[in-house]
Amino acid sequence: MDLSLNVNGRPEQFSAPPNELLVERLRDGLGLTGTKVGCDTGQCGTCVVRLDGRSVKSCLVLTAAAAGARVTTIEGVTTRGGELTGLQEALREEHGTQCGFCTPGMVMALGELVDNTADREAPTEPEIREWLTGNLCRCTGYHSVVRGVQRACSAARAGEPAAEAAAAPGQEV
Amino acid sequence: MTAVTGESALQGNGVLGQPLDIREDPQLLRGEATYVADIDLPDTAHMAILGSPVAHARIVSIETKAAQELPGVLKVATAADFTDVMPLPCIWIPGGVESHFPPHPYGLPGARPVLTGDRVRHVGDPIAVVVAETPRQAAAALAAIAVEYEPLPVVTRADEALAEGAPQLHEAVPGNLNAYWTCGDKDRTDAAIAEAEVTVELDLVNQRTINSPIEPRGAVGDFDATTGEYTLYASTQGPHNHRFLLAALVLGIPFNKLRVIAPTVGGSFGTKGYLYPDMALVLLLSKALGRPVKWVDTRTGLMNSTVQGRDHRQHVTLAGTRDGRITAVRATSHANLGAYPSTIGPGVATALMGRSISGMYDIDAAFCEVYAAFTNTVPLGAQRGSGRAEAAFLMERLVDRYAFEIGMDPAAVRRKNLVPKEKFPYDNGLGWTYDSGDYQLNFDKAIELSGYADMPARKAQARARGKRLGVGIASYVAICGVGPSTRMSKEGMLGGTWESANIRVHPTGEVTVTVGSASTGQSHATVFAQVAADELGIDPAQVQVLEGDTQKAPYGQGTYGSRSYSMAAPAVALTARKLKAKLVKAGAVFLGVPEDKVVYAGGGVHEEGNEENAKTFAELAMAMWYGWGLPPEIEPALDETTHFDPPDFNYPFGTHVAVVEIDELTGETEVVAYTAVDDAGNIGNPKIVHGQIEGSIVHGLGQALMEAAEYDEDGLLISSDLSHYALPRAADVPFFALDKTTTPSPHNPLGAKGAGEIATVPPAAAVVNAVVDALSDLGVRHIDMPLTPEKVWRRLRGEAQ
Ligand code: FES
Ligand code: FES
Repeated sequence: MDLSLNVNGRPEQFSAPPNELLVERLRDGLGLTGTKVGCDTGQCGTCVVRLDGRSVKSCLVLTAAAAGARVTTIEGVTTRGGELTGLQEALREEHGTQCGFCTPGMVMALGELVDNTADREAPTEPEIREWLTGNLCRCTGYHSVVRGVQRACSAARAGEPAAEAAAAPGQEV
Repeated sequence: MTAVTGESALQGNGVLGQPLDIREDPQLLRGEATYVADIDLPDTAHMAILGSPVAHARIVSIETKAAQELPGVLKVATAADFTDVMPLPCIWIPGGVESHFPPHPYGLPGARPVLTGDRVRHVGDPIAVVVAETPRQAAAALAAIAVEYEPLPVVTRADEALAEGAPQLHEAVPGNLNAYWTCGDKDRTDAAIAEAEVTVELDLVNQRTINSPIEPRGAVGDFDATTGEYTLYASTQGPHNHRFLLAALVLGIPFNKLRVIAPTVGGSFGTKGYLYPDMALVLLLSKALGRPVKWVDTRTGLMNSTVQGRDHRQHVTLAGTRDGRITAVRATSHANLGAYPSTIGPGVATALMGRSISGMYDIDAAFCEVYAAFTNTVPLGAQRGSGRAEAAFLMERLVDRYAFEIGMDPAAVRRKNLVPKEKFPYDNGLGWTYDSGDYQLNFDKAIELSGYADMPARKAQARARGKRLGVGIASYVAICGVGPSTRMSKEGMLGGTWESANIRVHPTGEVTVTVGSASTGQSHATVFAQVAADELGIDPAQVQVLEGDTQKAPYGQGTYGSRSYSMAAPAVALTARKLKAKLVKAGAVFLGVPEDKVVYAGGGVHEEGNEENAKTFAELAMAMWYGWGLPPEIEPALDETTHFDPPDFNYPFGTHVAVVEIDELTGETEVVAYTAVDDAGNIGNPKIVHGQIEGSIVHGLGQALMEAAEYDEDGLLISSDLSHYALPRAADVPFFALDKTTTPSPHNPLGAKGAGEIATVPPAAAVVNAVVDALSDLGVRHIDMPLTPEKVWRRLRGEAQ
C-alpha cells in the first residue's frame, strides 16, 4: 500500500505491507531507532510515540491506520546532541533513567502529561503514577521518574519550556 | 594480586561521594544510545530460533525443506549442522558437587548443545534456526519447519523430580539430582534443635520468577573472512567473560580471533551474564553465510529461554530460648535448576543461597542442605539479589515465626541476636566471613525512621477504615564483591574473578579510563570518572571512561553480584595511585628536588614549602609524553594498569520495614510505607546508588506481590508474556523512606561494598512478614508468594493455604 505520514515534521511517502506495525515502519523503515520494542503484547510502553499529539503504543498501531497522521518520535523531541527539553532536563536532574531502554517511551508518554499542565493544576503524585502505568521500568522503580515529572510540571507551570518545546526546527508541534 | 592498603580514597579532591549528574543520561533521554536491536551493519541477515513448543519429548524427525524454499530464506540449520561445535559449558560447580555430564573437551561439564537434536527438555529449548533477508521472513519460516515429537512425561518441580519414578531428564544424571550440597555443621545444629526450649518450622515456596529486563536479549555476529576474526555484539553483562567462554570453550577458535562488544544494554539483573545458544549461532551462521547475522529476541522468547530465578522449596527450622535468643537454624532446600545447568546456575542455587541463611544474626549452630534437581523448565540462573534474597526470605520469615511463638516483639528478637560490632570479622559458620558492620546502628536507624513505635495506633486507625495494617521487618547481609579468585575457586568457580582497569593520560592532560567491567545501566562512565578524578585530583570532566569492548578494554569479568564499584572501581583507584607515584618520581626530576620534597596535590606536583616551583597536571602529562630528560628508571608516558583481586568478599547489609494495608473486602495488599536503611560502605555517587536501591526494592516487592513463573502440568510456561506475568508498575508503589549507614569494607582501597542489587534482598520477606502480621489474629502463620488478592482474600475467609 502506498502511504504517507508526517514524521517529526517531515513528510514521508512509502509503500508498506498492510500488516506492518507503525513501530516497524519507524525503526526498520525510517531508521528511527529511538523508539524501542520491549514486548509483544502492548504492555511495556517502550514503543510510545505521539500520534497527532496523543501518546500511543506504536506496536499496537498499524502503519496503515496511522496514514496521514502526524507522528512525533523521540528523535523529534530534541535535535541530536541538542538541548534537552524541560521534561528531559528534570528527568536528568532526578536521574530518572538508568539503563535507558524504557526512557524514550516514557519521555513520549509523559510529554503529553507535562505539556498539558501549563494551564491547569499540576498532576498529583497518584495521577502521575496512574499516567505511567502503561510504561514499565525495571531499573528505577519509577521513583526518580515520578520526581522528575513533578519537577517538570512545576517548571512548566512556571512558564518554562516543557516537553516538546525544544523540537527540531521546522517541526510542527 | 594487588596489595590492599585500606587507605581511603576519600582523601582526594572530594568529587568521590558526590551526587554528580549522570553523564550517560542525556544520551539515554534523547533515545540516542545504541542497543543491540539498533545495530544495523550493511548486508545484515536476520536469524530466528525455533524453540520447542513442548516441555519434554523425543524428536522423531525434523523436516526443514519447506522452510528452506520460502521467500528470503537463506539458511535453515539444525543440530546436525553444528556437530563440531562444543556444548555450552557450566562454569560454577560448587565444591562437593559432582558434575554428571559428559565432560566438555576442556574438562568442564557440557551443559547443553547450541541446538538440541534428539530430545527437548523445556518449552523454548532451541531446535532449529532460520536466517532470512528480513526478520519477518525468518519468523514466518519457523512455522514451516515440521518437527515430529514423541512426548515424554513432564516434571516441573524439584521435589517431584527427585521422587521415585519421576520422569528422567538426563541419562547421565540418575534421579535428576545434579547436586547434594551442604554447608555448616549438621550434628551441632541437629543437637541444638533437639535440645532447644523452643523450635519453629516453616515450609516455604520461594517461587520461580522471571527477571524481565525491559530490553530483550539480542546478538549480532559478524565474521570477517579476510582476517578470520569474529565480532559479536551482544546484550551482555560481561563481554570479556563471554569472549572467553565462546572462543575457548564453544567455538574452539583462538582467543584473539573473537571480539565481543556490549553496546548499551537495557538492564540485565543477572540474566545477561549467561552464555546462550544464540551467541554462538549468530557467529557460526555469519561465517557460513558470509554476512552479518542478527537476532533479537521477543518478550515471549525471553521468557521461554533466558534464565529464570529463585525457585526453592524449603523446610526450615529455627531453635531458640524462651527469652528470644536464637540458638540454631537449619534449612533443607529443593532447588529447581531447570532443564540444563546454566552457566553459573548450580552455584546460585547452592553456595550463594546456603551460606547466607543466618543473615545478620550471631547464631551458634547453622546448617543448610540443598538438593539441586533438573526439571522440564527453563534453566535457572541469577536474578537481582540471587541466592541472598532466598536466604533472607527464609531466615526473616523464621525470625517472625519465632517471635510470634514466644510472644516477643519481632524487632526486639532481631535486636537481641544481631552480630555485635566487636565480633567483626565474623565467621558465620556457613562459609562466609563478614568483613565489617555495625548492625545495631543500622537496625535502630531503620526502626526509628519507620515509626515502628506508632504501629499499634496506625493499626487501629486502619481498622476503622476497613483495612488491616501489618508491619514487617527484614534484615539482611548480602555477599558481594565477587570476588577473590582463589576463594571463588574453592567455591567451584572455574575462572579468575578479578577485575582490571587501565588509565592512560593523554599529552594534553585528558585522561581515559578503561575497565573490564561493563554497565547494564549502572552509570559506570560517571562513577569511574569520579574515582579517577578524585584520586588524581583533577576535574571529572577531563576523564573519559571506556568499557564494553574486548578489543579496547583490559580483562574483567563484568557486572554481576553488585561487584563493579567494589571490584573495578578499586582497580581504577589503585591505577591512579600508580600514576601519582610515577609523577612524584618524575616530578623530582622536573622540579629539581629530592623525591621526598615532592608534593602531589590538585593534580600537579610542587616542591614542599615552595608552591612556585610546580608543574600542573597538563604540564606533567605533556612532559611525560615527550619523555625528554627522564632518567632510565622512569619510562616515558603515563599509562598504567591494575588487576584487582581482593582478599575476600564484602558484605553490605541493611534493614527494611514494610507497612501494608489489606483491604478486607478485596484481599488487595497495598504497600503504604516502606523504609530502607542500607549499608554499602563508602559510596561513589549517591545518585546512582539511591536509584538502584529504589529500583531494587520495587523488584523485591514484585516477587512478594505479583510475580510468578507459572508452569502447567504439561510444563507449558503460562506466564510467558507481560500480559500473563505481572511486573510492578508505577501505581503499585509509594515513595520510600531511605537512609543509609556507612561501614567501609577493609577489603578494597575505596572501602566500598556492593550496592546495585542489595536492596532486592529483603523486600519479599518484609512484605510477607507484614501481611502475616496483618492476618495473624485469623490464625495465619505463613502465606506463600505472590500475595495475590485472591490468595489473601481466601485467607481472610479462613481458607487454608
Ligand atoms: S513494545 Fe509496544 S508496548 Fe511493548
Ligand atoms: S531505566 Fe532500565 S528499564 Fe527503565
